[in-house]
Amino acid sequence: MLLERVSALCLRAEALVHRRRLDRDLDEELTFHLAMRARDYGDAPAAEAAARRQFGNAARIREICRELWTFAVLETSWQDLRYAARTLARTPAFSIVAVLSLALGIGANTALFSLMDVMLLRALPVKNPQELVEFVRARPDGGMMTNLPYPVFEYFRRDRSVLSDVFAIASSSPVFRAGGISERVKVHEVSGSFFPSLGVQALMGRTISPEDDRVGAANRVAVISYAFWSRQFGRDSSAIGAGVRLSGERFTVAGIMPPEFFGIDRGQVPDLWVPLATDPDPGDLWVLGRLRPGVSIPRARAQLEPLFQQALESLRDDFKDSPERERKAFFSQRLLVNSAAEGTSDMRWSYWKYSSTLKILLGLTGLVLLIACANLANLLMARSAARSREIGIRLALGAGRWRLVRQLMNENLLLSLAGGALGLLVAVWGHCLMLGFLLADPLRIALDFRLDYRLLGFGLALSVTTGLLFGLMPAMRATRAVISSSMRSAGGPRGAWNVPLAKGLLAFQIGLSMVLLIGAGLFARSLRNLGAADLGLARDNLLLMDVDLAGKTPQARQQFWMDLTRRVPGLPGVRSMALAGDAVFGNGGWNQTVWIERPGQAARDARVNENLVSPGFFATAGVPILMGREFGEQDRENAPQVALVNQSFARRFYAAENPIGKRFGDRGQTSSGRYEIVGVVGDAKYGSVREQIGPMVFHPLWQAPAMASCVLHIRTVAEPAALARSIRREILAIDGEALISEIRTLPQVVRDQLREDRMFATLASFFALLALALGAIGIYGIVAYRVARRTAEIGIRMALGAQKSDVLWLIMRETLVLLAAGAAIGIPAALAAARLIKSLLFALDPSDPLTLACATAVLFAAGGLAGFLPARQAASVEPTLALRSE
Amino acid sequence: MEAQDKPGDLVQGTLDMLVLKTLSQGSMHGYAIAEFIQSTSNRALRVEEGALYPSLHRLELRGLLASEWGVSDSNRRAKYYRLTGAGRKQLAAESEYWSRMASAIALIMDTA
Repeated sequence: MLLERVSALCLRAEALVHRRRLDRDLDEELTFHLAMRARDYGDAPAAEAAARRQFGNAARIREICRELWTFAVLETSWQDLRYAARTLARTPAFSIVAVLSLALGIGANTALFSLMDVMLLRALPVKNPQELVEFVRARPDGGMMTNLPYPVFEYFRRDRSVLSDVFAIASSSPVFRAGGISERVKVHEVSGSFFPSLGVQALMGRTISPEDDRVGAANRVAVISYAFWSRQFGRDSSAIGAGVRLSGERFTVAGIMPPEFFGIDRGQVPDLWVPLATDPDPGDLWVLGRLRPGVSIPRARAQLEPLFQQALESLRDDFKDSPERERKAFFSQRLLVNSAAEGTSDMRWSYWKYSSTLKILLGLTGLVLLIACANLANLLMARSAARSREIGIRLALGAGRWRLVRQLMNENLLLSLAGGALGLLVAVWGHCLMLGFLLADPLRIALDFRLDYRLLGFGLALSVTTGLLFGLMPAMRATRAVISSSMRSAGGPRGAWNVPLAKGLLAFQIGLSMVLLIGAGLFARSLRNLGAADLGLARDNLLLMDVDLAGKTPQARQQFWMDLTRRVPGLPGVRSMALAGDAVFGNGGWNQTVWIERPGQAARDARVNENLVSPGFFATAGVPILMGREFGEQDRENAPQVALVNQSFARRFYAAENPIGKRFGDRGQTSSGRYEIVGVVGDAKYGSVREQIGPMVFHPLWQAPAMASCVLHIRTVAEPAALARSIRREILAIDGEALISEIRTLPQVVRDQLREDRMFATLASFFALLALALGAIGIYGIVAYRVARRTAEIGIRMALGAQKSDVLWLIMRETLVLLAAGAAIGIPAALAAARLIKSLLFALDPSDPLTLACATAVLFAAGGLAGFLPARQAASVEPTLALRSE
Repeated sequence: MEAQDKPGDLVQGTLDMLVLKTLSQGSMHGYAIAEFIQSTSNRALRVEEGALYPSLHRLELRGLLASEWGVSDSNRRAKYYRLTGAGRKQLAAESEYWSRMASAIALIMDTA
């Protein structure tokens, strides 16, 4: 048997080389047979026919013999592919539309996949990442926090039963000075077990060892990131052993980490790592551990919970003065253990916070893919209808149906592969685009787009699946065509292009486009509302600058701030300037508890937001003073403590009463009446455009302990960015050690906050336009086909007296029905989908009638135009010509 | 492979066997083989003549037949097939198997 196989293989290989001869021989052999038979029958033409009948399907037999001799599957596949490529090249318009729509669908989905992959799925580049867990405290109200009190780390370190290692991280951002320039750097203070436990090695030098992490260690070491090494040391190996100063403290660089190491928080790469022990008061810690092999997360949790409770219990003394509620909340916390194989959940959580973002992106890209698929299926059906004659002939000549299906599928495969390849390009671009929209500073983020095999696999699988899935049905239908009827008339039988099915598919496609259109409309209008929203303050020409004065005495700092408020307003181009503890559109102020007492009512405490501002702040920010006065120079240390409140505060706590002169405290009974309200300012948004304005209180900056950092608010005469340089010079002239960071204008800040909204609006509009274009092409195609088929009918109608307008209406009616069906599918679907994005819409009802009307109008305009072109052609048919053509 | 032929009322293997048997008398071209099978069987076996050729080529590929081009009685170029050693062995095995089967079937048909 084996020998037979080998000999067959040799013969076939030989035949492969002498392909021509094989074909010739085969032909000659069969011809010989037929000739002999015909001769035996008497050589008449009838004899020849009889010989053929007797012989059977000669073409098919030749094909079977050929396949025996050749590596049939391989060879015909290659042949099919070449044939497919040629066929596709013959109809470039079809091919381009099909490939582009597929590329778009696949690209969008692959981009999203890569984004999710980078954010959520990719494992940390450390030793056995699947063993890593992070510890989280769960509050009774459902909140979850990764910052744990220091003792938790201490207690967990004692466990040896479920954890093989525990490590902790605290983050800080000290000032780093080099070459006269100061900057804030991101530092992770890590326990000595951090690097050994992650099992990562330094690129150069060494990592931090447990011996380094001891109070009073002889040498304070630091490990620097690759990016920091490049930035500060120009990748010079002399960096090892160099001294760096962090907020005045000296550290020695012991090692440089490789570029792919970003620690455990995927979103942010620290610039430096230093031992935890170098910080006398590190505050709360992130605590992570490595599970012993075979230990499950629930078992680890059960084992560690008692230790966690003991750790909390050790802090009981710290809470003896706290309100009962707070104490209870703290001590009823529970431990949670999460897998940290993909990095700490910090990033993931912030993204789950945005999980609606991901879901919407998923929805958008899914819609695009569906539309592309429906479009492809329709194009392919139309195409096989156009080729029904060719297919019919080939079937009649004895081509196997399966062989034809395979050939058609080859074309689909080629199309989808081309679409997939182009889609990957779209994906690279789309990935960067989405990332750019989602993250404020994409350059600092260690989220790389790597075209790895999983991504390639995903794109490829997606394209092949769509191609095969949506191409199979048209291919099966096409080859089922009734042979005789498809050859009889040029137009083919009524069933050649299954018009009801095609129309159904098209209506579905139009419906999906409608969902995108309405979505795009909603996002665009919401974005517009956000952009035009009343912030309660003047947005233009407001420059914000963070100024930091770490490491100075309080007196020096206060002097500096005062000098600043005197000197900056004098600069040319500056209209006014004020300082605030927290920037407008920064964090929205600090939380503060106020103690309100009113005659005739029980005293109560309430949580409000608080900010510290210098005199002139409200004038600078453009917030109106509604009653009383703004802070002045008289509101300083040792003067009566005063406060301003916003309108919401006044309304909430004093209702109709005049709040001026009222007093409130800030820390329970003992603080009663500490502050006097001297004025009421207008409600303004301090956190985000979307926020609900709540009660807010302002205190004079000069009555608070000197701040280490403030935000300069500068109202300029013209474009503020141009002034940044002169203001910076002035600040440094007052104190050369001042640290200036984050220079931005208010419009920039607001624009930044609306990144996500802009992304949705942009993507949805872009997709909607393309979907609309695809839908219009689909309508044009189907109507043009129908017009061509009905030319004779139209001719008869016109000969019998139908007017052009009648014909026009006859054809347009079909388009309008199609569009109406699409809208009927699309509008309810869009309304259902819009409810999911309700929370993202600003000052806009998800069923906004104007948006619905506009989307419908756009759909009908585009679709109507697409249907009108062939309709006009139909109406200009010459009846005589049309009738003759039959 | 899709190209499974359907040779009229004859089973694939049977046709192969008949071809081998026919060629055991010497080398022949395809038409002569077809003629021989039909006439010898008194046209009882209905063979779609074309189906013969895939069978011939398959046997040739299996090394049971060898072929060469020669000139026919009518002075035309024709492809002649002949049995190889392996073909002879195969024919012997199949004949033996066939007679055992035939007698077994005959036995049942006669007695039952």
